[in-house]
Amino acid sequence: MRTMIVFVLSLCLVSTSAFAETLEERIQQLEETIKKQEEMLQNQHKTLEELKEKSKPEKPAEQPVSPPPPTRDYRLDDRSRGIYVPSASPLTPYSLTKQVATPGLMNPAISLILDTLYYHSSLSRNELASKSTPGFIGPQEPPFREGFNLRAAELWFFAPVDPYFNLYATLPITENGIEVEEAYFVTTSLPAGLQVKGGKFKSGFGRFNAFHPHAWDFVDAPLPYKLFFGGEGEGLIEKGAQLTYLPNLPTYTILGAEVLQGDNDTLFGPDAESGPHAYTAFAKSSLDFGGSHSVLFGGSVVGGKTKTTSYAPNTELKGDTVLYGLEFTYKWKPSRWRSFILQSEYLYRHQTGYLTDTVALTTDSLNRDQDGFYVQALYQINRWRIGGRFDRMAILKDEVARAGQELSFSGQPYRVTGALEFNPTEFSRIRLQYNYDKSDPNRENQEVLLQFILAIGAHGAHAY
Amino acid sequence: MIRKSLLAFICFLAWTSPALAKLNVVATLPWIGSLVQDIGRDKVHITTLVRPSQDPHYVEAKPSMILEVRRADILMFNGLELEIGYLPVLVESSRNPNIQPGKTDHFDCSQFVAVIEKPAAVDRSMGDVHPLGNPHYHLSPRNIYRVTGGITEALARVDPGNEGFYRANLVAWQEKFKEKEKQWMGHNLRGKKFIAYHKFFEYLANEFGFEIIGYVEPKPGIPPSAGWVEKIIELAKKMKPDAILTTSYYGAREATFLSQKSGVKSVVVPHDVGATPTCKDWLSLMDQVLAALE
Repeated sequence: MRTMIVFVLSLCLVSTSAFAETLEERIQQLEETIKKQEEMLQNQHKTLEELKEKSKPEKPAEQPVSPPPPTRDYRLDDRSRGIYVPSASPLTPYSLTKQVATPGLMNPAISLILDTLYYHSSLSRNELASKSTPGFIGPQEPPFREGFNLRAAELWFFAPVDPYFNLYATLPITENGIEVEEAYFVTTSLPAGLQVKGGKFKSGFGRFNAFHPHAWDFVDAPLPYKLFFGGEGEGLIEKGAQLTYLPNLPTYTILGAEVLQGDNDTLFGPDAESGPHAYTAFAKSSLDFGGSHSVLFGGSVVGGKTKTTSYAPNTELKGDTVLYGLEFTYKWKPSRWRSFILQSEYLYRHQTGYLTDTVALTTDSLNRDQDGFYVQALYQINRWRIGGRFDRMAILKDEVARAGQELSFSGQPYRVTGALEFNPTEFSRIRLQYNYDKSDPNRENQEVLLQFILAIGAHGAHAY
Repeated sequence: MIRKSLLAFICFLAWTSPALAKLNVVATLPWIGSLVQDIGRDKVHITTLVRPSQDPHYVEAKPSMILEVRRADILMFNGLELEIGYLPVLVESSRNPNIQPGKTDHFDCSQFVAVIEKPAAVDRSMGDVHPLGNPHYHLSPRNIYRVTGGITEALARVDPGNEGFYRANLVAWQEKFKEKEKQWMGHNLRGKKFIAYHKFFEYLANEFGFEIIGYVEPKPGIPPSAGWVEKIIELAKKMKPDAILTTSYYGAREATFLSQKSGVKSVVVPHDVGATPTCKDWLSLMDQVLAALE
């Protein structure tokens, strides 16, 4: 019966064809058409079956009396031009798609983010390598070389483990190999607004600390983060455990505490003590004003045992460190195409201990009470964003006493930054940045950076 | 002893929490909140996360939203990855075990939808194409009819004490729907041609038999360049569509410009409940959308 219909249909179609010249061609066409029609019928049959399946479990009281079925479907026929052309033949009304049983859904969400930049400094490589901020930190390996730099190709994985845990891993691949920046689990099913995080993760201390380098608002980290945490200023990334509590209050407030290994080798040091030796506590709150204004503010503290060589070359500092942080963020986001963010943090370090000169083999007491802050503002209009940042150390307190003697260093370290971004889509960013850097009061460092950040793969959610 | 007092404490917490008074429903988009309101009426407390003036594609997760989701008895969202930029982080940060993915109170409205335009192959060179299909099904009477049925079932399940109330409200809603439907069918849109800013009207086009012949966006989510606008003007002059359609949250300026250049009128279509003061609920939203297209 079906074949007959197909045959008749095909005949009709073929007989109208004015282009088939020979009999052979006609037969060939006929065969092809039959095939197509059969395929179509099969598809329709399948769709019918699916429809039947679909309509079974639901039970709206009655069948909907709907407008007449659609006569057209739209296909992306001309992708290069992006114009959606109605397809020539009437297709099945709706392609029914179930969101289950797609192969690959059991794989974790994966993305890869490329972070690459061109770097220019007014200082030579040697000058950069010997640059330091006396009283805060000794010379450090410069993060970038003059010219092209590959910061990382960052792999990101996420998937729920089971109904009780989610798992995240961030594995930046650099030219030196693969690193584990973060790999942690988060609980999802604890009652009463509690959540536990464990593994290696970015601490809840402060505001800037939570972000990965590709999500920073400028190429580099604020000065207080660079000087108190060392390295590029990525902050406190530690092995440990975190407990957070979101009470059911009228305003958003989150309380948290962490036990950390204390590996950060500027603030603490992996060998300062054999077990976990750093502890944090933090509280943050947020308010909305109208529909498009919001603020987030809070305070954090991290304390622990210290054993570090970062003070100055040929020294070792042993003692106790407490770092306090205050944060404030204001956001105005009236639409997708416009936003303004003002963000500031103030960090204060209190340190008491003993400094050993590893050459002269002398040991003196060392007490440091130092602070620093940054303030940054970013204004976005359409796909462009312009940003400015000002960092300054030693604003309210700058006391470094060695063997009871107050040390004095010339000038307050500071830096001024300007940046211009173009974001073609939410998956790509081009950023041009200029730094006037006086973090070493004896050296003026001017930097120009051109950065490309590109993301492929799973769409990660954006944190506030 | 300790266990008993702990239990008593938990009971006390549960008792003092305001959630007990009404069912706490958190909806992402205004139209979802509006349908829940029609069915739940005074038995539910609804929080809508996205404002009608916002572009539903680009919503930022605010801490205040985390708090709302924490209190939810049930979370209802559009699905088809429309909320992918903010909802996963809200859900995890909410620390609310009841609405985590995989739980029935993580309620995806698109489960009742016959999805169209699911791409066979997709990559982001095509722009912001939704890999699970076109997510803008809320201007589709036949789909929303089923979604409303699903919402009712969900409310009845979470709050069985008021099951009869919810079902009665559904019946009342369905009657109104059918009355409205007769009016909607009176609009003769068959054969009309439109240019749209975004892929927002495809379900409607399928059901009412009109055509979208081109898009102001060169690719979904990508704003038009000057060159592309020229092409669209050419297309508008050649094909003489009935109107250029935009929504109130974006594309209005481009559409006005195109309209001046091509002589085709531009129409701002309310895209969600609350987009205009008279779009009070989903039924009146449909009234206005169809009137705008007429």
